[in-house]
Amino acid sequence: MSESAQFVDSEERLRSLFENSLDLILFQDREGVIQDVNGSFLDLLHRAKADVTGRHINAFLPNELVPVFHEKLQQAVAGTRVQFDVAVQFKGAEPRVLNISKVPLRVDGAVKGVHMVARDITDLTASHQLIEQQARKLNTIFESITDALFHLDRNWRLTFLNHEVERLLHVRREEILGRNIWEVFPAEVNGTFYKQYHHALATGHAVHFEAYYATGQLWLEVKAFPSEEGLSVYFSDITPRQEAQTSQKKLTEDLYRHNQDLQQFTYLVSHNLRAPLTNALGLAQVLQAESAAPNETLNYLEASLEQLDLVLRDMNAILSVRDQQGVALPEPVQLTDVLNQVLHSLQDSLQQAEATVVLAVPDELRVHGNRAYLYSIFYNLLTNALKYRSPARHLEMIITGTRQPEGDARLTFEDNGLGFDREKAGNDVFRLYKRFHATSSGRGLGLYLIKTHLDAMGGRIEVQSQPDAGTQFFLYLP
Amino acid sequence: MQTVLIDDDFISVFLTEKLLKREGLGDTVRSFQSPQEAVSYLQQAIPDQTPELIFLDLNMPLMSGWDVLEALKPYEAELVTRCFIYLLTSSLAYSDTARAKDYTLVTELIHKPLSSNKVQAIHTKIMERRANLG
Repeated sequence: MSESAQFVDSEERLRSLFENSLDLILFQDREGVIQDVNGSFLDLLHRAKADVTGRHINAFLPNELVPVFHEKLQQAVAGTRVQFDVAVQFKGAEPRVLNISKVPLRVDGAVKGVHMVARDITDLTASHQLIEQQARKLNTIFESITDALFHLDRNWRLTFLNHEVERLLHVRREEILGRNIWEVFPAEVNGTFYKQYHHALATGHAVHFEAYYATGQLWLEVKAFPSEEGLSVYFSDITPRQEAQTSQKKLTEDLYRHNQDLQQFTYLVSHNLRAPLTNALGLAQVLQAESAAPNETLNYLEASLEQLDLVLRDMNAILSVRDQQGVALPEPVQLTDVLNQVLHSLQDSLQQAEATVVLAVPDELRVHGNRAYLYSIFYNLLTNALKYRSPARHLEMIITGTRQPEGDARLTFEDNGLGFDREKAGNDVFRLYKRFHATSSGRGLGLYLIKTHLDAMGGRIEVQSQPDAGTQFFLYLP
Repeated sequence: MQTVLIDDDFISVFLTEKLLKREGLGDTVRSFQSPQEAVSYLQQAIPDQTPELIFLDLNMPLMSGWDVLEALKPYEAELVTRCFIYLLTSSLAYSDTARAKDYTLVTELIHKPLSSNKVQAIHTKIMERRANLG
């Protein structure tokens, strides 16, 4: 191979390198006029070589970039190799981010022109931007979640923490990031947090616990998730909740004590108070039996003592209902079953009063309640209706039952009796010893007992009434 | 006719004695205000002088009516055939009524005050049993 053949070979090789390079390459003279350009560059410009060569590069640059390219060219012409990144949209081309090198070409020590080699870093830049954007987004998420969040590597070093951690634990991230957590919180070594985190990391299982952080006087709810990288820990301040629980507990204890007092009171009523009363009653009866002639004074004494005893018996009945709350377990009860039982036991009284009772309650209507209470409720409602029936007409009573859309059973007891002035009675209707009829024998206990029983089963009662028209009771049972 | 009355309340004892006398059951009433003494007495008296009727108060200090019933458990066979035991209490507690049903020794729980009618009924019961026992 001859020397000249070698040279041609070498020139062709360089030419091929120039033409086929993926980099965008052009050659400018000292003034910036394009002398040569490779295929990659022409592809970007969407032009033929003839349209580009011989023209100044400024012809293809957006105006705002002309000074930059000029400056860099001058530096290269001065003999310096320059490199810069630029986002550029050549005329007629797509926008690109380019990493540009300008390399001076020296011939006999003088700079004859400049090679401009541009590497397309558009995708790379976009990726970088995406990564940065994601990191920012993640940071924003971590900062904006209401939980405190920090991350530990497997050597217990704090690698990340959010603002909430700083706020709750009174730390500053620039002071503690990168440090071993047990050096930052030495008081917690061997404490609950220490044990739980070690457990999580050792077993690979997440832990969830509540613990008291004594230094900050905080109750914290903590979730820690172990991973290859270490431990991610989320926690939140549950001090108010803990305090609420404490006061709830105190309230429960108070209630329990009050209930105990109430039981004590029941005992007091049913024994201590009644013992002397029964003696008095007995003595009055003996006196009565021994007196030769009817004695009006003695009659009244006996009547008074008997009334007192009735009051005591009522109180005992009421307090006993309360006492048994929670003891008498609710069970599914068929309402018609209990209603029929009550009607049966009142058969004679109803017949005597020539009363008619229409029972329009479906057999399948059941409630979850206490059978004895339900019996007492229905019994009281029916005896009330009998007691307060109108002397002007026979008692008619209609009992209906439906299932409410929300699931409660609703019973109505409607009668055509004396009724009462509902508005005037107001809230007193279901109070103890409130009576709305002067003449009858009521003791004002029935409605109160009904309400007490319903309350005990989680039900409620409403009433509508008009004097001399009748009364309607509405019972709602769960 | 032997009747034992166990009640710490002396007015109640006075009343019950008075009623028993009036209804013809008062000839041999032994009253104890101390349940312990009553139990000691009964332990001696059974079986030769087993009473036919016992009125037992429930709420007494140191030893309740229930305790007395427990103490009398060893004599249950003898007592069930020959003696009516009535609990006589001023308490209205439902739990007492329920508990009384657990004792075969107890004939009935009576709420004070004891009435003439009740005493008469008890008298009749005793007479019937005497006839049956021959």
